[in-house]
Amino acid sequence: MALGSLLMLGGVASAQKVAFEEYNLDNGLHVILHQDKSAPVIVTSVMYHVGSKDENPERTGFAHFFEHLLFEGTENIKRGDWFKIVTANGGNNNANTSDDRTYYYEVFPSNNLELAIWMEAERMLHPVINQIGVDTQNEVVKEEKRLRIDNQPYGNLIAEVKRNMFKVHPYRWATIGSMDHLDAATLEEFQAFNKKFYIPNNAVLVIAGDFDPAQAKKWVDQYFSKVPKGTPVTRQKFEEQPITQAFKATYEDPNVQLPMVVTAYRTPSMKTKDAKVLDMISSILTGGKSSRMYKKIVDEKKMALQIGAFNYSQEDYGLYIVYGIPMQGFTAADVMKEADAEIVKLQTELISEREFQKLQNEIESNYVSSNSNVEGIAENLASFYLLYGDVNLINTEIEIYRSITREDIREVAKKYLNPNQRLTLDYVGAKDKAQN
Amino acid sequence: MKKVIYILAGVLLSFNMHGQVIPQPKPGPAPKVNVGKPETFSLKNGLKVLVVENHKLPTVSYTLTMDNAPYAEGAKKGVSDMTAALMGSGTKKMPKDAFNEEVDFLGASIGFGSQSAHGSGLSKYSNRILELMADGALNPVFTQEEFDKQKAQIIEGLKSDEKSASAIAGRVGGVLVFGKNHPAGEYLSEETLNNVTLSDVQANYNTYFVPGNAYLVVVGDVKVKDVKKQVEKLFGSWKPAIAPNVSYSDPKDVQYTQINFVDVPNAVQSEISVVNVSNLKMTDKDYFATLLANQILGGGGEGRLFLNLREAHGWTYGAYSSIRGGKYVSDFSSSTSVRNTVTDSAVVEIFNELKKIRTDLVSEEDLKNAKAKYVGSFVMNMEKPGTVARYALTTQTQGLPADFYENYIKNINAVTAEDIRRAANRFFSVENARVVIVGKAADVLPGLESRKMPIFYFDKYGNPTEKPVAKKAVPAGVTAKTVLDNYIKSIGGEKAAKGVKSIYTKSNATVQGAPVVLTSKVTSDNKQAVELTVMGNSMMKQVVNEKGAYRMGQGQKEEVKGEELAELKASAVPFEELTMANSKDAAVTGIEAINGSDAYSVKKGDTTYYYDVKSGYKVAESRDQEIAPGQKTTIFTYYGDYKDVKGIKVPHNIIMNVGIELNLTVSEVKINEGVTPADFQ
Repeated sequence: MALGSLLMLGGVASAQKVAFEEYNLDNGLHVILHQDKSAPVIVTSVMYHVGSKDENPERTGFAHFFEHLLFEGTENIKRGDWFKIVTANGGNNNANTSDDRTYYYEVFPSNNLELAIWMEAERMLHPVINQIGVDTQNEVVKEEKRLRIDNQPYGNLIAEVKRNMFKVHPYRWATIGSMDHLDAATLEEFQAFNKKFYIPNNAVLVIAGDFDPAQAKKWVDQYFSKVPKGTPVTRQKFEEQPITQAFKATYEDPNVQLPMVVTAYRTPSMKTKDAKVLDMISSILTGGKSSRMYKKIVDEKKMALQIGAFNYSQEDYGLYIVYGIPMQGFTAADVMKEADAEIVKLQTELISEREFQKLQNEIESNYVSSNSNVEGIAENLASFYLLYGDVNLINTEIEIYRSITREDIREVAKKYLNPNQRLTLDYVGAKDKAQN
Repeated sequence: MKKVIYILAGVLLSFNMHGQVIPQPKPGPAPKVNVGKPETFSLKNGLKVLVVENHKLPTVSYTLTMDNAPYAEGAKKGVSDMTAALMGSGTKKMPKDAFNEEVDFLGASIGFGSQSAHGSGLSKYSNRILELMADGALNPVFTQEEFDKQKAQIIEGLKSDEKSASAIAGRVGGVLVFGKNHPAGEYLSEETLNNVTLSDVQANYNTYFVPGNAYLVVVGDVKVKDVKKQVEKLFGSWKPAIAPNVSYSDPKDVQYTQINFVDVPNAVQSEISVVNVSNLKMTDKDYFATLLANQILGGGGEGRLFLNLREAHGWTYGAYSSIRGGKYVSDFSSSTSVRNTVTDSAVVEIFNELKKIRTDLVSEEDLKNAKAKYVGSFVMNMEKPGTVARYALTTQTQGLPADFYENYIKNINAVTAEDIRRAANRFFSVENARVVIVGKAADVLPGLESRKMPIFYFDKYGNPTEKPVAKKAVPAGVTAKTVLDNYIKSIGGEKAAKGVKSIYTKSNATVQGAPVVLTSKVTSDNKQAVELTVMGNSMMKQVVNEKGAYRMGQGQKEEVKGEELAELKASAVPFEELTMANSKDAAVTGIEAINGSDAYSVKKGDTTYYYDVKSGYKVAESRDQEIAPGQKTTIFTYYGDYKDVKGIKVPHNIIMNVGIELNLTVSEVKINEGVTPADFQ
C-alpha cells in the first residue's frame, strides 16, 4: 500500500490534449483537421458509416467487398493504378471494415497532401464499379476468407459466437459475409449499394499531421465540393430479446488440435458507460500476468494454456466473450468452473483499492498509447465523430473511465455476466476425414 | 456440356470513361529530413547505451539486446525458448507474483527474451520501470516448478499449431533451406524439449545473457543525465563476459530447381514459397539495388507478384517476395497462399516474374516508383522517435560506415535499371530454387505433376518421405456397376432416366466481366449441340450428329475424327451411365475427396467420373488433355446443386476450370421438349 500511494504522487493528468477543428461542407461531408508538425507526415482518411450490419441478409459481405472494390479505380485513376500512385509518391495506404463502419486511409510524406485529398475525393465522387473489378475482387475476397478464416486455427470463432448470439440483428452474420451471396450479386446491386452508402453525408474526412490548415481547407473545398449530396441514410433498428436461459453450441474446425471453450454474454452498445466498465472488468480478469483469471487458472492451477476475457463492443450491441484452451488432463468444464468463480467474486466483492489504482494507471497508459501517432489519432477522431457522435471524446473519454467506481464494476458484473444469460460454445477440432 | 474447349481468355469488356476529368495533383517540394544522432556512452563491462530524448509524449521505452552470433541448440533445441519463458518469473529480490503485480500496477509492459529485455510505460514511472527491468534481466531465479509449467505450456502450444499449414511451411522451409543442424534451420519439438533440464537453462543464461555485445536503447521523455546515472547504478555490476562465436558452414542451394512437397490433407490453401540462400550484406555494393529489385518484384500491393497473382488472376489474397541484408546467412523467398486448384499455375507465374526481372531491364516508371517508396518510408519513419536509435544501433552492429543513413536517400536514388537486373541475377535464383509447397496432395499433385518440375516429398518435419497416397480403399462389393447404378437410382431411377429422349439446358456465367451463355442440347440417339455465346455472339459451337462431329469457333471449322469422335459420340447422350454400367472399360479406382466430400472415382478411357459416396450424385468429371505437344493437364468439371426437373435430378451448378474458372448457373432445363433435328445440322 505504501508503494501505491507513493506512486500516486506522480500526478493524475499528464497525457497530452489532442487539438482539432471541424466543419461541414455543403454536401454534408464532415471534415476534421488535426495539426501536428513534429514530423513531415500527413494522414488522410475517410470513414463511411456503413458496415456489415447495413447489408441485406440475402447479400451479406457487401461492405467488406466494397473495402476491396473501391481500390479498383475511378474516372481519373485507371484500374490497377491506385497502389502505384500511392507508392510512387512514397506513401502507404489501406482500409478495414467492421460491422459498423468502413475506413480508408493514406499516409504520405507531407508534400503530398493535395494528392491524398484528390484520391479520396475521386473515390467518393466517381469510383468505377464494373464487372471486371467485381469478378477480380470476388476471387480475392474468397482467398482472404480461406487465408484468414478457413485455414486458421480458431478462425471462425467470432463468426460462430455472433451467429449464436444474435437472432434478428444483422450482427448475426460474419463481416466477411457469404461467398454464395457475393457470387449471386449482380453488378447493379453493387452499384446501388455504392450510391446508397458511400456519400458525403454518410462520411467523415480526417486530415492529420504536418500541413497548413488554410491550404488544406482550400484543397478539401476544391476536390470534395464536387461530390453531390446523397439521399440521407435511414437505419432500421433491430432489438434483440434478452437472453434468459443458458444455451449451448458446438463448432468443428478442422484446423484445431486443442479444443477451446467459449462463453458469451450480450452487452450494451460501446457508447454506454457500462461498456467501458466491461473493459475494466476485462482488465481485472485477464489483463496482464497479475490479472485474476490468468494468475489462478494459467499460472497457479495450470489448467489452461490460454485464458482471455474481452468486451467485443460495437455500435448497437456488444458481446462479452470469455475463452480458454484447457491443458491436457483438464476439461472445458474444469476451466469454466474456475472462470465462473472469478466472475462471481466480482459480482459479490468490491475490488481492492490497489487493484482500482492499477486500473487507473492502465487507463492512462492505454490512452497515451492510443494517441501516440498521427495514424491512431486520425482513426480515433473519425470513430468518435461517426460512431459516438462526439469528436471531443478523444480528450474526454478518459474522464468517463476515471468516473467509474468500484461499485460500478460490481453492479455491471451483476447485470450482464450471469450464467442464465449466456452461450457456451465448444469449439473443437473436426474428426479427420482423410488420414494425416 | 462437357468436352468443350473454349477460347475465352481474350474476351474482355472495354469500359468507357465518362464524367469529369480532374487531373492528378503534383507533389510539393520534398520535406527536409535530418537524421539525428543519439547520445551514447559505455560501461566498463561492455554495455553500450544509446539515448534519444523525445518529450512529445509522456512515455519512455528501454530495449536491451545482445548482438551475439546465432548458435544451434541441437538435441536440446528449446533451451533458449525455456530461458526466455523463465525470465521474468521472479528475481533474487522479488517473487514472481509481486513482480508481475507491480508491472501491471504501473500500467507498464516489461518482457524478456533469452538475450533481450524490454520495458515501456509512462515516463512518470521511468525510474521504477528500468529498475524492474534490470532486476528481471540480471537477477533471474529459475525454479523447477516454473520450468515444468512453462514446458507443459510450450508443448501444448506446439500441439495447437500441429495442423496449421503455415506453421508447417515455416518449419519445413527452414529445415530444407538451411539444414536441420543450422541455427536457422533447426526446429523445436516435444522430443528436443524433453532433453532440456533446469541446469541447461541456467547455463544458457550464464553463457549468452552477457554485456560483451549488449546494447541498451532508451527513447522518450527522459533526461540523458538521469539515464546515465541510473544505468551505471543498475547495470554497473553486470559481470563482464562475451558470448561464444561458433561458425557454421553456409547452406547450399539445390543443384536444380525442384518442388519440395508436404501433404496436409486438411489444407484449403497451398502455402507456396520459392526460396534460395542469400548472403546479402548491408555493406554490399548491390544492397540498395537488391532492395529495389525486391520491391519491384514483390515488395507490396504494387509489386509484380501481387499484381499478377492477385489482381490479374484473383488466385490469392497476397503474394510477396522478401530479402534482408545482414551479417549472417539468410534467404530470399517469393511466397503466397493460393487455393488448391491453382497451385501449379501460381508456381508457373512466380517463375515467370523471377525470370522477367532477371532478364529485362525494369521500366523507368517502375524504378522511379520503387525509389519513391523507399524514400517515402524513410521520411515517414522519422515520425517514430525510436528510428534514430534504431539507425545508430544498426550502424554499429552491421559494421556500416558512419554516414550510411545520411547518404541513404542519395544511394537509393543512384540505383539504375542495370543495377537492378544485376542484383536480381546475383540474389534471386531461377535455376537453383526450392519450391516449398505445403498443401493437400489429393487436390494439387495432379496439376503439379503436369508441370515437369522434379517433385520430392517430405513429411511435416522436413524428412524425405514417399509420395502420398491420395486415394482411399474402396469397400468390398463396390464396383463400377454398383456405383453407376446407384447414380441412376439417385437421380430418379432407371425407368425415368430411360424415358429422357432429350435434354435442353441453358446456363449463365461471367468471364472477365463478360456475360457468357452456354446452351446444350443432347438426345438419346447420340446427337449433341453445345454453343457458347458471349453477349449474343457465338464464340464456340460443337455438334455431334449421325454424320460425325465438328467444332466451330472464331470463324474456323474443324472436323472431329478418329478416336476422339468415337468418344464424343459415346458421351453424346443424356446419361452415359446407362450404358457405362455394363461396359468392361469402366472401373472403380478409389475414393477421393471432391470439395471436401468422399466420392468414388470411376475411370473410363481418359475420363474419370466421381460419384458422391453418400448422395450417389455425380459430383465431378476429370479428363486428361494434351494442351500443347507433350504437355498434359487435367481438366476438372464439377457438378452441384441438383434439382428436380420432371422427376429427374439435374445439376444446376457446373464449374469448369480451364485456366480460367467458368462458374455456370443453370437457368433453364427442358426435358423431352425444345429440341428439333435442325439443332444438330
